[in-house]
Amino acid sequence: MGKRRTRHVYLVAVALCTVTASASADPLRLRADAFAEARAPAGLLVLQGQDKIRPWIDAEAMVWTGGTGTAGSSETGAAGDVTVLTLRLREPHGYGELRAGRFVVATGAIRPVHLDGVSLLARAPWGTTVETYGGVPVVPRFGEREYESASGVRVAQGVGNTANLGVSYSQRHTKHGGTAQEELGADFAAVPVPWLDLAAKSAYDVVTPGVAEASLSSALRLGDVRAEAFAQHRSPGRLLPATSLFSVLGDFPSQSLGATVRWRAAPRLDLLGSGAMQRAADEIGMNAWLRSVLRLDDRGDGSVGLEVRRQHVSTARWTGVRTIVSQPIAGGLRYSTELELAFPDEPDGRGSVWPWGLMALAWRASGWEIAAAVEGASSPEHRYETNALARVSRVFGGTP
Amino acid sequence: MRPDDGGLPPSPAPLRSASLVSRRRALLALALPMLLGACASVLGIRKSTSRPFEHRAHVVKGVSCKDCHGTVGTAGDEDPLHFPTDASCLRCHEKPHDPRGCSGCHGEPHTRASAEMARKHLRFEHKNHMGPVKGDCVRCHQEVAVDSPQALRPAMAICFSCHEHEAQWRVRDCDGCHVDLAAEHTPPASHLVHDGDFVREHGVRAASSRDLCMTCHSERSCASCHGVGTVPALPARLAFDDVRMSGLHRAGFRSRHSDEARANPGLCVTCHSDRSCRDCHERRGLAAGSATRNPHPRGWLTSSRGGGDHGVQARLDPVSCASCHGGAGEQLCVDCHKVGGPGGNPHGRGFTSRKDKRTDMPCRMCHGAGR
Repeated sequence: MGKRRTRHVYLVAVALCTVTASASADPLRLRADAFAEARAPAGLLVLQGQDKIRPWIDAEAMVWTGGTGTAGSSETGAAGDVTVLTLRLREPHGYGELRAGRFVVATGAIRPVHLDGVSLLARAPWGTTVETYGGVPVVPRFGEREYESASGVRVAQGVGNTANLGVSYSQRHTKHGGTAQEELGADFAAVPVPWLDLAAKSAYDVVTPGVAEASLSSALRLGDVRAEAFAQHRSPGRLLPATSLFSVLGDFPSQSLGATVRWRAAPRLDLLGSGAMQRAADEIGMNAWLRSVLRLDDRGDGSVGLEVRRQHVSTARWTGVRTIVSQPIAGGLRYSTELELAFPDEPDGRGSVWPWGLMALAWRASGWEIAAAVEGASSPEHRYETNALARVSRVFGGTP
Repeated sequence: MRPDDGGLPPSPAPLRSASLVSRRRALLALALPMLLGACASVLGIRKSTSRPFEHRAHVVKGVSCKDCHGTVGTAGDEDPLHFPTDASCLRCHEKPHDPRGCSGCHGEPHTRASAEMARKHLRFEHKNHMGPVKGDCVRCHQEVAVDSPQALRPAMAICFSCHEHEAQWRVRDCDGCHVDLAAEHTPPASHLVHDGDFVREHGVRAASSRDLCMTCHSERSCASCHGVGTVPALPARLAFDDVRMSGLHRAGFRSRHSDEARANPGLCVTCHSDRSCRDCHERRGLAAGSATRNPHPRGWLTSSRGGGDHGVQARLDPVSCASCHGGAGEQLCVDCHKVGGPGGNPHGRGFTSRKDKRTDMPCRMCHGAGR
């Protein structure tokens, strides 16, 4: 029996002061988005700002507040969080940089870590770069601190303007001093000739010795064609914190090998295709998709697209089709539709097709953006569900 | 006339047939060019109706750039742009063929927009460059010499043909020319093209070039997706009306997320913590121990040798197990797999660890004192 979700819509009021436009690039850029939808989270107010106060100092923030839970039930409430709050000091000639606050550290083979801490970067004129960071991993929603600590370092050397090689080390400790993660990494990027580039990275787990993750990508550009070959290796058990019981089940890596091709078949028509063989333990599978995008005008303001996808890996087997239409109407008004049909090979009581669709209308003019949409779907959880979405945005001084 | 038709005139039926065929051919002959024309127009193969300004014709006629762009020789960084006015045109074209403004048809809007953008975002003074190039504007604005120029604003490579910026490039010091790259939103033209399957690619590309990425991207560019515990909604959700955005979590991802996770073991945890799934499932009443149906198939856990499929699947995708059974739920595994327990040794082939099995987590859960 289907279950229709009916939710009350929370409205979030936005009050913003105006900023005088400047004739040159505005160092202060602000954006406010009020977002509401019929299902939880019912309402959000997202504020983003960035100010380049002087060439050597800039600050950036992204904070939000909103309603949580299911509207109308006793579990509703308010929540908020800080996604970014960073102060960046920069040596005027670029030889050093200090970041402090809340930010994401992602460098070399170190996987992204959301941190409350400090990062220090030093660059030498001969192409050597040293970056180090330390801090406490972010706890969402101002929750209780687990007093984990994370730190790491990366040393890299550029070779002319064509290559860069780096080695890194990262670690993460729990409040009891236990090692949650300790990795050594290496990364490499090169553009030996203008039409070819290479990039690779690998992380080696020190706690449970073995390669945790490795990626290789090489892209070739010939006129209107860009072809990329890629290979990936992941050891899921090593990607979990070493304190998790599920990290000790042994090395059963998943690997994929594939290629992606983009061809600008006509000035307004792009064709993209990707195919990959995937291996998990002894099982071989594949993942492939084809996508075409036709721009309806020279500027690409309007476009139609079609995507077909097939996934056939282990028990995850499905075929999907997705279409999009986006077209300006007049006076800053635009309509968009998106439709996706996913057909699982083995429905297993989850429905033989999972349709999802969205129709949106948006208006944009003089720093304001207003958009509304209705969304409908039939998912493994619900035979059908509908949702309404709305967003009001105000941008000052260019999109931050 | 054929000999066997008895000299009779052709019957009306073949005549009609021949006439129909010829009409069809004529229609096809008419329709085909129209169809091709329409396709050419839709695909952008046919030239657009907007017309680039006829710079080359003026150059060929010997009109100096400064005859129209009079103030360019003394223009500083803050001065107004030096676009010619109608009065400049009327100095030579005394009898205009149209009463409307010249720039309405002669010149493309994007050329003016590009110049305005350069004025806003670049530190550049024409007056400092006129001397070194000896007043030869074409030295930089090379496209004015071609019939259908793509862009009149010189590419950065042309700047580099005179200016040596290797030292600045190495230390990512772009501020000498660019006021604020993050605000500029200029798509990179060369080796940083963000096309193909960039959502998958960007991780390996950014690994060695994080600080290069940050010359244009702000902290939020990473945190909007990778600050998983704190983001209010993913960018694709907030920008629901921009259906052209691609990405892993677009469209009906919620319906197929379990299949996506199974197909790419370990992918989710490269961004999400192992708690992300559990938190969401708990909010929706889908976590282990909740009242929902058991999601595991028949034969998942048996008392026979091997214990059913759960061991194999857990090794293939331990992250999925942790998404529901992590934290306190791990005790479910320990009860059977502790040393001496009926579940036997859960470690896979060749498993080694540098942890102390008696004292470190999670080893001590099974190997601790007394076990």
